[in-house]
Amino acid sequence: MIKNNYELLEHTADIGIRVKGKDLKEIFINSAWAMFDIIAKRKSEINERESTFPHIVKERSDDLEQLFVNWLNELLYLSATKELIFYDFEIERLDEKNLEAKVWGEDIRNYNVNTEIKAATYHQLKIENKGLYWEAEVIFDV
Amino acid sequence: MSDIWEGPLEKIDDYRWRIPKSYKPGMRVDGIIYADEKLLRDIRQDKAPEQVANVAFLPQIVKASLAMPDIHWGYGPSIGAVFATDIDSGGVITPAGVGFDINCGVRLLKTNFQYEEIKHKIKDLIYVLFDMVPAGVGSKGDIRISEREEREILIKGARWAVEKGYGIEEDLECSEEYGAMEGADPSTVSQRAYERGKAQSGTLGSGNHFLEIQMIDQLYDYNLCSQFGLTLGQITVMIHSGSRGFGYQICDDYTRSMIHCLSKYNIKVPDRQLACAPFNSPEGKAYFSAMKCAANYAWNNRQCLMYLVRKGFEKVFGMSWEKMGMYLIYDVAHNIAKVEKHTVDGKKLTLCVHRKGATRAFGPNNPELPNRYKNTAQPVIIPGDMGRNSYLLVGTQKAMEETFGSTCHGAGRVKSRTSAMKSIDANQLLKELDSKGIIVKASGKGTIVEEAPQAYKDVNEVVDVVHKAGISKRVCRMKPLGVIKG
Repeated sequence: MIKNNYELLEHTADIGIRVKGKDLKEIFINSAWAMFDIIAKRKSEINERESTFPHIVKERSDDLEQLFVNWLNELLYLSATKELIFYDFEIERLDEKNLEAKVWGEDIRNYNVNTEIKAATYHQLKIENKGLYWEAEVIFDV
Repeated sequence: MSDIWEGPLEKIDDYRWRIPKSYKPGMRVDGIIYADEKLLRDIRQDKAPEQVANVAFLPQIVKASLAMPDIHWGYGPSIGAVFATDIDSGGVITPAGVGFDINCGVRLLKTNFQYEEIKHKIKDLIYVLFDMVPAGVGSKGDIRISEREEREILIKGARWAVEKGYGIEEDLECSEEYGAMEGADPSTVSQRAYERGKAQSGTLGSGNHFLEIQMIDQLYDYNLCSQFGLTLGQITVMIHSGSRGFGYQICDDYTRSMIHCLSKYNIKVPDRQLACAPFNSPEGKAYFSAMKCAANYAWNNRQCLMYLVRKGFEKVFGMSWEKMGMYLIYDVAHNIAKVEKHTVDGKKLTLCVHRKGATRAFGPNNPELPNRYKNTAQPVIIPGDMGRNSYLLVGTQKAMEETFGSTCHGAGRVKSRTSAMKSIDANQLLKELDSKGIIVKASGKGTIVEEAPQAYKDVNEVVDVVHKAGISKRVCRMKPLGVIKG
């Protein structure tokens, strides 16, 4: 997994990101990683991560854009209700309409929370195959 | 953000600019932006005007896609958008026209105190209130409720709190919709929304939400001030919060389902975030009901927050809130959809009015208003950023005629959060605010920087436009003394 592989886009009210990846799986993983990187930073004084069981995420949508937005919003829902910050993602199945993933989260109390992201939006959403790599842009409502 | 919007903006008069419907094939009505020339330069700097044009695609939109002078780039419609659809002829409702933070809104309460009497206590007050009012991301409240009670809140709104003893009947009279929209059916709310909203009642939230102790520093309309019982130097309190995670989840749930409605009802919109359904379709009705649940949740939340503020004052001053005259002036929603009757081209129509980052501003004698405000017109509360002013205005008859009884909602951002983070130093900013006599307590330094005055338009200019355009009228201005940010 490539960490820190995203850049922030200028947006007046909200926060946008541009993410690169070698394939679609990496786009999904790096976007999720970036989203939680914006939300919170791990407290430096806490060392070891306790080993935890992953949560299973399954999504079915009509097309890739919906699948992508639903994936990120599902993680926000899980994060808010389970009080976790997700830090590791393993995508077991991914096509244009289906996704199955395992995601690992850690207690939100081990983090300094910076920003509340309400949702990922469709506004100016891009998911593109650039030939040698994939690129996605998404705007979060914060 | 560096690209300047090059589309057409035709001058109608000094405060209105038109994007003609010929700008893009598919626009059903013109776009109209309320601004003066100076604000218009800011507005051209981001993509908000394009969003005004996009809204004009919505089926059965009437009159125009309107934008208030605090307009800025959002998702789907811009922030500061006002638009209405004719629901009897297939007009749509869109969750994006309300936003994720359903019934984000603000309430203003007065006190009997003058600044000179309590200026040495402001710091104590802010520290006590910071302790009592849960703030920050995912913050949880002390007001614990069962799931059965949660359902009751969704139906009763602020009345739930009043029945629990967290307020008085008069508080309800002084709230838009009397603190609850009728017809909220909790069965339209997903289990996921319940879970996400659990334990957040009576919490402030994060981002631009705040609690502020203010003093009135300028009177504009002496007659109205005296009717509202407001004088120069008087202390007021402002509370800005919304429906928290509960509302976000409802918006997410229904945006998901309404994406399918675009093909089902053959609706063409240029931005998928504008997903919508005919108001009278099963999907439209279900969203409107769920939205009401979230709106009621938010009114109850602000009522609970006001209860905590009154308690905090009681703790610091050792007397009852009634004795301190801590009565609610009014509570308004900034993100909401309503069914209202308005006259368009001489015809009385039943409309679904969307206000996303805009405030209802009903003129005098409107039947929706409580008796106490029939003469004065509806109070409109406009929060500014933490370094500048806030305003109390009232609605006007002209707003009824031009903007479906609506006006601006705040200052509106000019600087993105990311560029604010890059260019503003938190400690420096706190020093500057301190030198202006403004005490700030926040749950994180990030919020202070993101919400810095430099990131916002000058609220004074925004209010100047709505006042001069006649869609609301200035009553008085407040300046911040102490601020709690989420």
